Amino acid sequence: MARVLIIEDDRVTADEICAELQRYGLDTEWVGDGATGLERARGGFYDAITLDRMLPGMDGLTVVTRLREYGVQTPVLMISALSDADERVRGLRAGGDDYLTKPFNPDEMAARIEVLLRRHAGASRPMMLRVGDLQLDLIDRTAKRGDTLLDLLPTEFRLLEFLMRHSGRVLTRTMIFEAVWGYHFDPGTNVIEVHIGRLRRKLDPPEREPLIHTVRGVGYVLEAR
Amino acid sequence: MKLGELSRISTVRLLPVYGILFVLWSVLLIGWVQYDTKRYLSGVVDEILRQRMHYLSNIDRDHLPEVIAQTGALDLRVLQGLFDQQGRKIAGNIERIPEGVLIDGVVHSLPGGAQQMGAKEPVRARGLAKGIGNGEVLILARATSVVDQVNSIIYRSLFWGLTLTIIPGLIGGLWLARGPLRRIRAIESAAQPIMRGDLHQRLPMSGRRDELDMLAGIVNSMLDEIERLMSEVKGVCDSIAHDLRTPLTRLRSQLHRMHREANDGAHAGVVEQAILDVDSLLDRFRALLRISELEDMHRRAGFTEVRLASTLDHVREIYTPLAEDKHIAFTFEIAPDVPTVRGDPNLLLEAVSNIVDNAIKFTPANGSIRLRLIKDADAGARIDVIDSGPGIQNSEREAVLQRFYRGTCSNKDVSGSGLGLSIVAAIVKLHGFRLQIVDHPGGGAWLSLLCGPNAGQLRSAS
Repeated sequence: MARVLIIEDDRVTADEICAELQRYGLDTEWVGDGATGLERARGGFYDAITLDRMLPGMDGLTVVTRLREYGVQTPVLMISALSDADERVRGLRAGGDDYLTKPFNPDEMAARIEVLLRRHAGASRPMMLRVGDLQLDLIDRTAKRGDTLLDLLPTEFRLLEFLMRHSGRVLTRTMIFEAVWGYHFDPGTNVIEVHIGRLRRKLDPPEREPLIHTVRGVGYVLEAR
Repeated sequence: MKLGELSRISTVRLLPVYGILFVLWSVLLIGWVQYDTKRYLSGVVDEILRQRMHYLSNIDRDHLPEVIAQTGALDLRVLQGLFDQQGRKIAGNIERIPEGVLIDGVVHSLPGGAQQMGAKEPVRARGLAKGIGNGEVLILARATSVVDQVNSIIYRSLFWGLTLTIIPGLIGGLWLARGPLRRIRAIESAAQPIMRGDLHQRLPMSGRRDELDMLAGIVNSMLDEIERLMSEVKGVCDSIAHDLRTPLTRLRSQLHRMHREANDGAHAGVVEQAILDVDSLLDRFRALLRISELEDMHRRAGFTEVRLASTLDHVREIYTPLAEDKHIAFTFEIAPDVPTVRGDPNLLLEAVSNIVDNAIKFTPANGSIRLRLIKDADAGARIDVIDSGPGIQNSEREAVLQRFYRGTCSNKDVSGSGLGLSIVAAIVKLHGFRLQIVDHPGGGAWLSLLCGPNAGQLRSAS
């Protein structure tokens, strides 16, 4: 079972994170300050860390910087009340793997942790992705459902690649927008829905088992059920 | 510096008043000096004449012509003459009895002057006449040319003195007035960003502690207070938005959990609707905090040269499917020679996205939206978003940029926080660009983003 270290000084938030991750079947461990967190992270065997940006004593940025200096490569999700774009860049430069703004949607947080766990586990990036009878060739840049070649636009290809790399995981709209387009803002009412809808029409013809599933109120998941 | 402008400065306006006072005072002073000098010099002349008369009066009549000849040779400036009853000259160097002379033994100014023997005409003079018996008259006179010369010296010095004082004075005054004007200019240019809403700026102080510094100091303390109050108000708004977001997020996850566990179809629908409502609330708070965050940002070193064409390319890529789903014709024009602009590429994309998102929301099915990038003579670059929707009423144009405003003809089905254009406005302000809203002649709204270093200062053309 994957173990996640939660470094968070606020008890309520920490409880929330623990509860949500446990619901996803993850083992959690909580520490309330940066110094202890750093010590545990160095010594323990964790698969992922959630790290509050602002901690008493040693702050989150220092923790993650030190951690990387010690050569610990455990993926870190930075959680911060500071949503400024500069803050995000600073957090990621210091060695964070992803950045989430408080208050966050627990589903979103869990989805991001899952992605981090997955990325960490399969460090190699395969050039051929397969989910059920769906195939994505990243060298030829072609997509096939069974024997049918799918005619995808570049954006749709990128979107599909992202969904397939994280198949079986719930991906939120914000995560998709950030990963596929590289921007960090609310893209408006239903941008992602429409893009997913188009991809879905090409990917899941009526006669086939659908691969893209909507998780209501959270996001999307691509998997063969 | 224009002359008209200089003339409005108080220092310059005081110059003529000061000049007139100066001239009056000089004239008064010199006048008094002249009067006194003249009186003194006349007194000296009179005294000489009186003494000479006293001396001659005591001379025996028989020797008088002889003495007159002698004293006449002694002092050529004093004219002397002895005349008989008929006015014929007996002795002396006066041609004839001066006109209008009073024979009273007192010195007077001679109205007709006195003519020296051999001279062509009389000269201005003072004189006295005294009868010495037998109808004979002894007349003494002395030309007042010394007094006149001193007078003219005084007049000349008054003229040159005034000319040489007033002309450099005026020039110096104008020159001095430029100093404060230059500082007012500096204050004016420092006040420009404050008037545009950047309350962090302060007016410059010269450190001389003069009246301009005092004024700037007063304004600066006022700005401190305004900034403090503004940040307090903003802080309260932000913390409300922030504080409410946390319980709302919890509420949402609880609802979500309920929804997952609810098997009852009817309840599931209610919970789902509740989740959507919470989501839209959270969206609003997010947008509010985003605006507040944008308003807090300053122009930073992080700005780079942005190729707007590529920004628009991304917008097209993101929004084309949305337009197509609504059967809206989304056309796209990019002029080839549009210069790059300084800005934050992410924020500019966010701004254009919001405008396009709005356009798609308000344009009915089968309508059209034009996204266009052109060169603007004044601003540098201009992005136009022209739609075939209902347009934005003249009276609503200011309001749509304010938080939470949604047009009166807003369709209840059109979702949104009503904060999209406020976010655009905040981004535009941060960059010093300008957002212009007009009606397209063919109907529909026409939003222009004037991007360029001076766009913010351009006057609205609409």
